[in-house]
Amino acid sequence: MVLATVLIDGNNFYASCEAVVDPAVIGRPLVVLSNNDGCIVSRSAEARALGIAMGTPYFKVRAQLERHGVVVRSSNYALYADMSQRLMSTLERWVEDLEIYSIDEAFGLLHRPAGGDLGDWGRALRRQVLCHLGLPVAVGIAGTKVLAKIANRAAKVDPARGGVLDLAAVADVEALLETIAIEDVWGIGRRLARWCRLRGVAHARALRDMPAGELRRQCGVVGLRLQQELQGHACLPLISVAPAKQETCVSRSFSEPVQSLAQLREALATYLVRAAEKLRQQRQRAGAITVFARTSPFAPASFYSASATVTLPLASNDTAVLLAAALPLAERLFRPHRALAKAGVLLQQLQPDDLLQHHLLVPTTPEQQRRRERLMAVIDGLNRRYGRGAVQWAACGLQPAWAMRRSRLSRAATTCLAQIPRVLAR
Amino acid sequence: MLVRDPGCTVLLRVGGVSMQGAGIGDGDLLVVDCGLEPRPGQVVVARLGDGFTVKRLVRWRGGLALAAAHPAYPLLPLPADGDHQLLGVARCVIRRC
Ligand SMILES: [Mg+2]
Repeated sequence: MVLATVLIDGNNFYASCEAVVDPAVIGRPLVVLSNNDGCIVSRSAEARALGIAMGTPYFKVRAQLERHGVVVRSSNYALYADMSQRLMSTLERWVEDLEIYSIDEAFGLLHRPAGGDLGDWGRALRRQVLCHLGLPVAVGIAGTKVLAKIANRAAKVDPARGGVLDLAAVADVEALLETIAIEDVWGIGRRLARWCRLRGVAHARALRDMPAGELRRQCGVVGLRLQQELQGHACLPLISVAPAKQETCVSRSFSEPVQSLAQLREALATYLVRAAEKLRQQRQRAGAITVFARTSPFAPASFYSASATVTLPLASNDTAVLLAAALPLAERLFRPHRALAKAGVLLQQLQPDDLLQHHLLVPTTPEQQRRRERLMAVIDGLNRRYGRGAVQWAACGLQPAWAMRRSRLSRAATTCLAQIPRVLAR
Repeated sequence: MLVRDPGCTVLLRVGGVSMQGAGIGDGDLLVVDCGLEPRPGQVVVARLGDGFTVKRLVRWRGGLALAAAHPAYPLLPLPADGDHQLLGVARCVIRRC
């Protein structure tokens, strides 16, 4: 039995999600902006065709976008995360093992029937994702992860392939590998790509066929593995179970510089509330909290950055306990006349929440403990059901001035009852 | 009972009275399954141009059309080359008492 590796990757994922919940933007050029409406992070095919580059700062192309009637959206993370979950749960039924690689990308393993072409299988999968979720994806099928990446890329680039490519059905694999620039091979860093270029190794085929010894001397076992994957020997296993997280971090850039201690406390409280929520989702407790803040790196002369850490006597995922321990640290970060541009919290020494040790100095009865846990579960449930912030901690402040700018946000169309799209019966 | 497959189920809010005869009123919540192939006779959600619409899918002159459940609304033929898309099948209606 031969195993095939498949890579499924969403096309223009954020832009595609926006079109799923708002048919008015289908067929129109659309771009999605990063945090604080900074840069273009996703473009619809129509926006691509206008020559709008990825990563362009919004303010630079604003006039151009308006001229072309481009729809502009802020990043709607709730929508993208929900669509991603729906995508992954569909994919899980199509493969034997799934590794979720990013919000819109997953590797899968499946059996290849003797001498069989999996192209039809890929087309059926693609059709189902498109029909059920409205999301266009590309499907690349090959013997290894590195080759599946290449097949996926080739499936996307050439419209004649219809978004699906099984490398096993390609007559001239050599020629295809020669169209993949060395910089575009998965796992090749910028440094290694330059080294290859200097050696005349310009594409995936040349990397596959270069002397192994040379590669090994330059980049050790990592380079060798890459080469073996290109040769069709799978040596990068699927990682289907994410390892338990060692740290959880929430940090954001402010839309306006934060100049007062009260504002900094509100921001840290907001991030901590979010981090604690994540922690409970991961079924973990934190043993230590680090808070950090910095000024803008674009003004290097007055750059300031600081962090402070507190260790908890007893690991916890109770928002109130974490806030009480961490908020006093804000004073240690704050300096008058230092306009802070970014802050964050890092929860550390994470441990499973069923392994709680009691502490002589922190007298809590199991009954008290359970009541706190129920309270947190109720708060999380309400915020899930009625939208984040339905139950808010007073420490976070109300409508703070520093909050992220997302002026062109689409609605939480799939996760929040108050914001679902309308269907006309007219 | 309401949701066959959460991954491809969406909720939509109904606006208008054209489906009143089928028990779907203005302001109701519609549970829509995008994983089922819409068949004639079923209440479906379609994209027509740039909006979503809910109607009953019917056979009409060798093709398909969308029929309202209200006398004041005309039949909407679905030409094979038209700008529309059948998105899913309405499975149930949720109404505030
Ligand atoms: Mg992608």
